[in-house]
Amino acid sequence: MNKRQTRIFAIASTAISALVFLILTVDSHRQFPELTNAETITPQVTHGKDVWHKYNCINCHTLFGEGAYYAPDLTKITQHRGEAYLKAYMRDPSNFYDEEIHRRLMPKQDLSEEEINDLIIFLDWVANVDNQGWPPRPILVTNSLAQHTPGADVTTDPSVTPVESGSDPRALGEKLFNSAVPSCNACHSTAPGVTMAGPSMAGLVGRTEELLASGDYGGEAADVEGYIRESIVSPSAHLVPGSMFSADGVSFMPTTYPESLTEEQIDHLVAYLTSLR
Amino acid sequence: MRYKSQSVAYWYFAVSMGLFGLQMVFGLLSATKYLGPDPLLYVLPFDVTKVIHTNLLIVWVLAAFMGGTYWLVPEESRRELHSVKLAYIQLILWVLMGVTAIIGYLFRYGTGNKLLEQPLPQKLVIVLCMGIFLYNIGMTIKKSGRFTTTEGVLLLGLVSSAVLFIPALLHYENYTVSIFYRWWTIHLWVEGVWMMIMGSFLAYLLIRLSGADREVMEKWLYVIVALVFIAGILGTAHHYYWVGVPTYWLPLGGLFSALEPAALVGMAVLAYGAIRRSGMAHPNALALHWAVGSAVFTLFGAGLLGLAHTWPGINKWTHGTLITAMHGHAAFYGAYVMINLAMISYALPALTRGRPEGGTTMGYWAFWLQLAGMFGMTLSFATAGIGQVYLERVMGMGYLDAQLKIQVHFLMLIATGTIFVTGVGLFIYDFFRFPPRLMISDDTEQLSPREPVTDDARSQV
Repeated sequence: MNKRQTRIFAIASTAISALVFLILTVDSHRQFPELTNAETITPQVTHGKDVWHKYNCINCHTLFGEGAYYAPDLTKITQHRGEAYLKAYMRDPSNFYDEEIHRRLMPKQDLSEEEINDLIIFLDWVANVDNQGWPPRPILVTNSLAQHTPGADVTTDPSVTPVESGSDPRALGEKLFNSAVPSCNACHSTAPGVTMAGPSMAGLVGRTEELLASGDYGGEAADVEGYIRESIVSPSAHLVPGSMFSADGVSFMPTTYPESLTEEQIDHLVAYLTSLR
Repeated sequence: MRYKSQSVAYWYFAVSMGLFGLQMVFGLLSATKYLGPDPLLYVLPFDVTKVIHTNLLIVWVLAAFMGGTYWLVPEESRRELHSVKLAYIQLILWVLMGVTAIIGYLFRYGTGNKLLEQPLPQKLVIVLCMGIFLYNIGMTIKKSGRFTTTEGVLLLGLVSSAVLFIPALLHYENYTVSIFYRWWTIHLWVEGVWMMIMGSFLAYLLIRLSGADREVMEKWLYVIVALVFIAGILGTAHHYYWVGVPTYWLPLGGLFSALEPAALVGMAVLAYGAIRRSGMAHPNALALHWAVGSAVFTLFGAGLLGLAHTWPGINKWTHGTLITAMHGHAAFYGAYVMINLAMISYALPALTRGRPEGGTTMGYWAFWLQLAGMFGMTLSFATAGIGQVYLERVMGMGYLDAQLKIQVHFLMLIATGTIFVTGVGLFIYDFFRFPPRLMISDDTEQLSPREPVTDDARSQV
């Protein structure tokens, strides 16, 4: 090829590439409304997006895996954590995590209640965008998988802050979830679809509401809180279907919690578990 | 220096060096925060040091590109710049824009839109600066009546840079749409038009340094431009993975970004061929080190390491982890930092008084320390990223727990980062060690390499 031919090659290939790219851009715009549920972009979602930008969230976190890699991905966070938990967390992250243990902590952002509310609505919109099923398995913020070293004292699980008695009940409940003996998280995951020895706690509230409304429920609880409390103190009152969870009408879950936990501690666990999505 | 107005390049380079040094401070600071706990949590949290680190990079790399262009164009056009005054006004505006943006970030004054954090007034100043710059360069070339291919490619790259900045000025209600257009600016800059600028700098340097035949070099420059755009334009798709766009962008991203190394291989072959043909004959061997180093490191960082995680089936697991930081650091350094340092090293003996043409010992230390440091940093990010992907994405370990498991790689990052910063410090010190020479001098004339004169007629437009 001589110089003239290479010049034609450069111009033609660039023009063709640009043309294809522009056609696909037009087509993407045709599909955006459906893929991103554009009709659900309310003023609150837009305001939540502005909050996300205003506080420079993307320079620590990722959303759709885009951003900085210093803090967890939040694409599906509203499917892992309930609104009550997220609100309490946004008011003061140090109630939930300890910088001495994780070596990182989110600074308190001093958001207004309205900002917190709309931010969570925005994140919930993000969680429902059709993004080809990413992530392929849930990206968790923290779990106890890392801490179960042989001989370690499981009662001092460092995955959450050593909370004080005055902390948020949900934070106390989360701590207890990892530290009660035997620890809840040894058998129950909080991630959707991760079934360990017991059912995943993800989606607990929704499932229970359906159960209570369906008529298949044989226990004595009248509401979700009551159901969770009952499951802790008398696990066999209602059996979740599945041969890995129970046999001969008796749940595999330990029945020792009414003795090992105080009434107040059970309240905390219930508060935490009802905050999970 | 053959033309007096080329001396404006010195001040652009000087500004670049200052900002480069500052970028290192915020980079190291960010790296130490990975180890934690952070005593500056409420003074200078990670998000602030990170945004300053990346923005300083953009500001100084662009300033150096502009400086390099102001150096290159008079020599290619064989006349003085259209307006030296405009060039200085543009530099002052640019510095004011950069400095106010950085100070604003310290107080969380920014748009929070990744890589386009500059507030609107600063963005408008960027547009203004680009306008002045293009006008000045365009007028210089027009007046000279001599328009080389190298200049043409360079000018097209610069004009496109300005045009592609326009989507960054607009506001989008839909977050997914705003991501879509963010990459029109960032990706098409970095993997499109900046590549053109880099390619034309490289061609210019190789023609000067190795005395390679202009006709051959510029023919290859066209081929490289073609490859850059074939792969680069549709390769934008690799930024559209998992963000809520139609699925056809996935295979497109895989296919076309797999082609991206082709252009980089082309550049490396070009550099190698030029050296082979004429040897290291040019006295400024240090600049030759940087130019060839840039071609090779780009192939490694942008080409190979990009390819490592660009296929959708792999990227599904590595997306949004330190694997991206690995690729980002090596690619930017190889492609844009090193080419600018090459241009600066080439121009510096003529721009300063008393500097040996072949480069100083300190200059070589700067080269090798930076290279070793950046290679180590790349490996640190890579090992940390592989650990993170395995523990967090594949095994399902919590993010915070997985980060604790890869602390040792952050130690390695800080150690190798320190080596790198030492190299940068030496380069900057070496830069300012000799006073600027702002007059034309004849002695540089004979040091500038001979250039084949056969091509001029055909190159004219």
